[in-house]
Amino acid sequence: MSDLDRAIAQLRACRPIPEYQVRELCYKARELLIEEGNVVGVDAPVTICGDIHGQFHDLMELFRVGGDVPDTNYLFMGDFVDRGFYSLESFLLLLCLKVRYPDRITLIRGNHESRQITTVYGFYDECLRKYGSANVWRYCCEVFDYLALGALVIGAATNLEPSDAPFADPTSQASMQTEDQDIEIETLNANGEIMFRFPRNHDASQSSQATSQPSSSPIIDTPSRTGPSGTSATSSANGSRGNDGGAVLCVHGGLSPLIDTIDKIRLLDRKQEVPHEGAMCDLLWSDPDEIDGWGLSPRGAGFLFGADIVKCFNYKNDLSLIARAHQLVMEGFKEMFDSTIVTVWSAPNYCYRCGNVAAILELGEDGSNAGYMRRSNGDVGRRQSSVLTERGRDGPGRRYRVFDAAPQDSRGMPAKKPVADYFL
Amino acid sequence: MPAPEIPNLKSLLASRRGGQQRGRGRGILTSGAKHESSDADKDRAVQNTDQDAATSRLSCIELGYLEDPFAKAFATQPTIRRLPLLNRGTYVRTTAIDILVDKFLSTSPTELKQIVSLGAGTDTRYYRILSKYPSIKVIYHEFDFPSNTATKIATIQKTPSLLAQIRQSLLDPSDLKISVDKTFLTSPFYNIHAIDLRTFSTSPAPTIPNLSATTPTLLLSECCLIYLQPADASAILFSFLTTLIPAPTPVAVVLYEPIRPHDAFGRTMEANLASRNIHLHTLKKYGSLTRQRIRLKSAGFEHGFKAADTGFIWQKWIAEEEKERVAALEMLDEFEELELLLTHYCVAWGWRDRGEEALFGKAWAEVQEQERDDEVG
Repeated sequence: MSDLDRAIAQLRACRPIPEYQVRELCYKARELLIEEGNVVGVDAPVTICGDIHGQFHDLMELFRVGGDVPDTNYLFMGDFVDRGFYSLESFLLLLCLKVRYPDRITLIRGNHESRQITTVYGFYDECLRKYGSANVWRYCCEVFDYLALGALVIGAATNLEPSDAPFADPTSQASMQTEDQDIEIETLNANGEIMFRFPRNHDASQSSQATSQPSSSPIIDTPSRTGPSGTSATSSANGSRGNDGGAVLCVHGGLSPLIDTIDKIRLLDRKQEVPHEGAMCDLLWSDPDEIDGWGLSPRGAGFLFGADIVKCFNYKNDLSLIARAHQLVMEGFKEMFDSTIVTVWSAPNYCYRCGNVAAILELGEDGSNAGYMRRSNGDVGRRQSSVLTERGRDGPGRRYRVFDAAPQDSRGMPAKKPVADYFL
Repeated sequence: MPAPEIPNLKSLLASRRGGQQRGRGRGILTSGAKHESSDADKDRAVQNTDQDAATSRLSCIELGYLEDPFAKAFATQPTIRRLPLLNRGTYVRTTAIDILVDKFLSTSPTELKQIVSLGAGTDTRYYRILSKYPSIKVIYHEFDFPSNTATKIATIQKTPSLLAQIRQSLLDPSDLKISVDKTFLTSPFYNIHAIDLRTFSTSPAPTIPNLSATTPTLLLSECCLIYLQPADASAILFSFLTTLIPAPTPVAVVLYEPIRPHDAFGRTMEANLASRNIHLHTLKKYGSLTRQRIRLKSAGFEHGFKAADTGFIWQKWIAEEEKERVAALEMLDEFEELELLLTHYCVAWGWRDRGEEALFGKAWAEVQEQERDDEVG
């Protein structure tokens, strides 16, 4: 067993590794990250994850639900640290996995991967407490400066492979039968049972039928179901109108008024502390909002951006979807603007207080390489791909796995029930 | 989380082996209390909520959210820097109650007024009122458990500035009396009563020295009544409105407490606090703004019964320039969480006026209540 594997085993048990090992790890990680561009290319299949925030036991739950590294190819969209009690273990484990399996895990930078933010929101204090000095915090911050700013997922399948997963609620199975339809969105619970399945809109002649279907679905009005409420397809969208075959841009926060092409992200000098303003800051801080154009962010950094901005950016850059994190969503994920952008949130019961569920987003691999040729392997009822090319491109098939916070004291790790603050 | 709240792995091991901790890591101390806890433990947990609130208040003062030169004297713990969203919440809570109290005091300013603070703990409101309104005559009563009043009185005794403030309001300094066991402080204007609020539901109800039955009175419950059983909480309001201060003397109440226990955040809040042995007994009964209004009306605050959550209060009660000032104090990143937190606390205010005089009706005429209440009772 190598030192690295030993460190991984130790961190998996939620035990910090010694300072000298952290130094070595961070050095290796930097050597690796420096070779990555500002926008990392990632091939589907990939599982896209949002904020973790030091909730180590929930990260373990994420791996249980989504599969382990290296079996599953992961992309984490930043905010590994702060707020939770185990930022150190969470970040170091992810970093170890990155060094050990560089092609199976991608880490990009969140706005909390910053010296300034970590001194306010806990990671600095945690390092100080666990090591007695700020050295480890410093090593980690140096790694932060090398993290990529975004990732571009290519080769994602337009439709989900039909899975033989059982339905969580067998009575709803009939209403979600999609045998003769392609699956665009599927939501699974932590046990791998289907909570919700949404077929793709095929063409204009079918769209009225297809759009009325989700709105009349009984699931939509059921608050206990987490899937549909996060899916804009259930409310405003006529399914996806993204660009078929287009890539998926992953970034922690969102867009910037200074960035109209992905190539402009590639030109940034990223190896620095997150600035207070400018393109790099915006990518890590901005939020989509129901506005036209750009707006001021209440966060004091980054901007708010509306549907027109997203659609224009996606069109110009041949994207089918933007995946981002950064904002707590109670249902774990939330698609907006006709499914042109999605927020993925992976910290369940955030800060041990919010009561939310978490989600990860799986994008499948398109077997046909080209991205918009559908696999025609004899599946019953599959439609001709010519239908698709006629009406333009669809967004990737999206499988969301939704999960709760890890049960306390269940994994043989020092998991004292954390205390959340309230007003008393 | 601020440093003292991150569990130290080493100390966790120590406490598991029965190691003792004092003063810090209160989460660790209480989280182990899975065994059946005694009533005394539960009382202590409620009493300790005062130090928790005091710590939050100090954090706000240090960072410039609030001004309070007296809070430091009552702090038994070093200042912990709370997270920005908690500071914001503490600011909104304190400011909301200040607004209602100020409007009460500045309406008919020459008239004698009375304020009763339930579960006052280390609250400094009386001293802040004295320094802000030196000419106003107000009889002030604080109620709390003996252990809390004893600590407070000891602090007052050893803090000359506080003693001077109290004596200044008295005609004769010798009117200030402290009981032998140092749990009661009485004077014609400032009083600290060591009373277990649950005794209001037993008969006979406790008598309150120096409580005026004819002076317009404001009752304050800042996260206090919610820790009592619903019957006990109702009995207190009933006693004040009937036997202690009978009609037609104007009486009003201002409540600050959690609401909306039925959504994911609310359920988590109730469970998290229960694991600290803090039980919110009236939360479900008065879990929405509508239910709070009905509660006030049926208690006898018949001339006004209003409520708003603290998210609404931040939006509507605080002036824009003040909002900008506060927003600039700290970088606040956690907007979704702040929104959740603020919408799970409310201020409810109700009053019974004396006929046409309408003291409270006038004082609070401009205070905006929240129409929308998305929780179905």
